[in-house]
Amino acid sequence: MTCVELQQSLAEIEDGSGAEQRAHLETCPTCLALLAELNLIASSARDLSEANEPSPRVWNSIEIVLRTEGLIRPPRADRPHPASFAARWGFARWMVPAAAALLILVGIYVRQHSLASPENMATIPAQQPLQDAAAAGLNDDELLQEVADKTPATQAQYQDHLRRANEYIQDAKQDVQADPNDEEARRSLMEAYQQKAMLFDMAMDRSLP
Amino acid sequence: MTDPKPRQSKDVSEAQAIERAKQGDAEAFQVLYDMHKRRVYSLCLRMTANTAEAEDLAQEAFLQLFRKIGTFRGESAFSTWLHRLSVNVVLMHLRKKGLPVVSLEETTQGSGGEEDTPKKDFGAEDVALAGSIDRLQLRRAVESLPPGYRTIFVLHDVEGYEHNEIATIVGCSIGNSKSQLHKARMKLRDLLKMQRAEKAEKS
Ligand SMILES: [Zn+2]
Repeated sequence: MTCVELQQSLAEIEDGSGAEQRAHLETCPTCLALLAELNLIASSARDLSEANEPSPRVWNSIEIVLRTEGLIRPPRADRPHPASFAARWGFARWMVPAAAALLILVGIYVRQHSLASPENMATIPAQQPLQDAAAAGLNDDELLQEVADKTPATQAQYQDHLRRANEYIQDAKQDVQADPNDEEARRSLMEAYQQKAMLFDMAMDRSLP
Repeated sequence: MTDPKPRQSKDVSEAQAIERAKQGDAEAFQVLYDMHKRRVYSLCLRMTANTAEAEDLAQEAFLQLFRKIGTFRGESAFSTWLHRLSVNVVLMHLRKKGLPVVSLEETTQGSGGEEDTPKKDFGAEDVALAGSIDRLQLRRAVESLPPGYRTIFVLHDVEGYEHNEIATIVGCSIGNSKSQLHKARMKLRDLLKMQRAEKAEKS
C-alpha cells in the first residue's frame, strides 16, 4: 500500500485498523501523523455541538408565536373555582333548567369556534362574552336592577361577583378559542356560565328554598 | 445516534416539562427551550455559518417541535426527535437556497481530483496539529468548508450521526457520506494548519 492508497482507504476505514493500513502505518511516520491529526479533528468536533448560545431574541420570538397560536395558555389556578364560589354563596344545588340552557349555549359557542381559524379568533372583541351572556338572558343590568332594593353591601357583593364571573367567562372563552378540542377548556367555559347563572338565580330568589 | 450530553434542569425533569407544555404552561416551554437551545442553535450555526439564518432556523425548529408536542408519547428520546427535526429544518433551508447539501462529485476512488491527492504537507511537520485544537479555530475552519463537505462533517463528527443515518437524512449513498467526511477532515486539517502557520508568523 502506498501513501496515496492509504489516504484514500481512510475514507472507508477511518481509524486505520485495516490489515493493509496497519502494515503501511508501521513503516510510514507521515501517514501515522496524518491519521493522528484526522482523529484529533474528529474528536475535537464534538465540542462544537453546544458551542454557541442563541440571542434572547430567539426565545422572545418563539414565545410570541406560542401565545399568538394559543399553545401557551393562561394558568387556570388563578381563577375562582365554581365549587368554592357556590359554597361561599351558600349554594348546595342549583337550578337544573338553567344548566340545561347553558349547556346548549356553550355547545353552540364551541361548535362555532371549532370552525374558526386562529387568525379570526384573535380578532374577536373582548365584549363578546357579555353579549353572548345577554343573549342567554344573563344581562348584567337586569341583575343589578333585580338587587337594587338590597343593602348597598349586598349590591356591592353582587357587582363584585358579577365582574369575576365575567372575567372567568372571558378567560375560559379564550382557552376554547385557543384549542377548541381542549376538553378542560370547554368544561371551564361551561362552569363559568353556570357561575354567572347562579348569580341570576340568587338575585331573583328562584333557587332559594 | 447517541445523544452525547443530555441536559436536565435541576428543578424540572424533561418529562415533567413536556407534560406541562402540553397543558399550555409557558414556563415549561421555556424550560424545554433552555435545555436544548445551545445544541439546536449551534447545529444551525455550524450548518449555515450565518448568525441571523441560524437564529431563524433555531426558532423554526423549536416552533415545529412545540406545535407537535401534543403528539409526543415518549417512544423515542425527546432530544433525538428535536435534533432530527432541526437537521431537517436546516437541510430544507439549504436546499431552498440552492446550496449543495452534499457535494455532487463522484466517489470512485482514484479519480485523481485535486482533493484526492495527498498534500505534500506544506511546511508539514513544523505545524503539526499536536495536542488540542482551539475550539474557535475549529469553528472558523468548519465555517470556511464548502457547504457540501460541511453538512456531512457536522452531522457525523459534531452531531454524532452514523453514515447510514446521514445517507437517509441527506439522501446520498453511504459511500458518498464516507468519502465526503474524509475530504472534509482533510480540508479542515489544511485550514487549521494554515491558521497555525499564520498565527506563528504574526507572533
Ligand atoms: Zn505513508
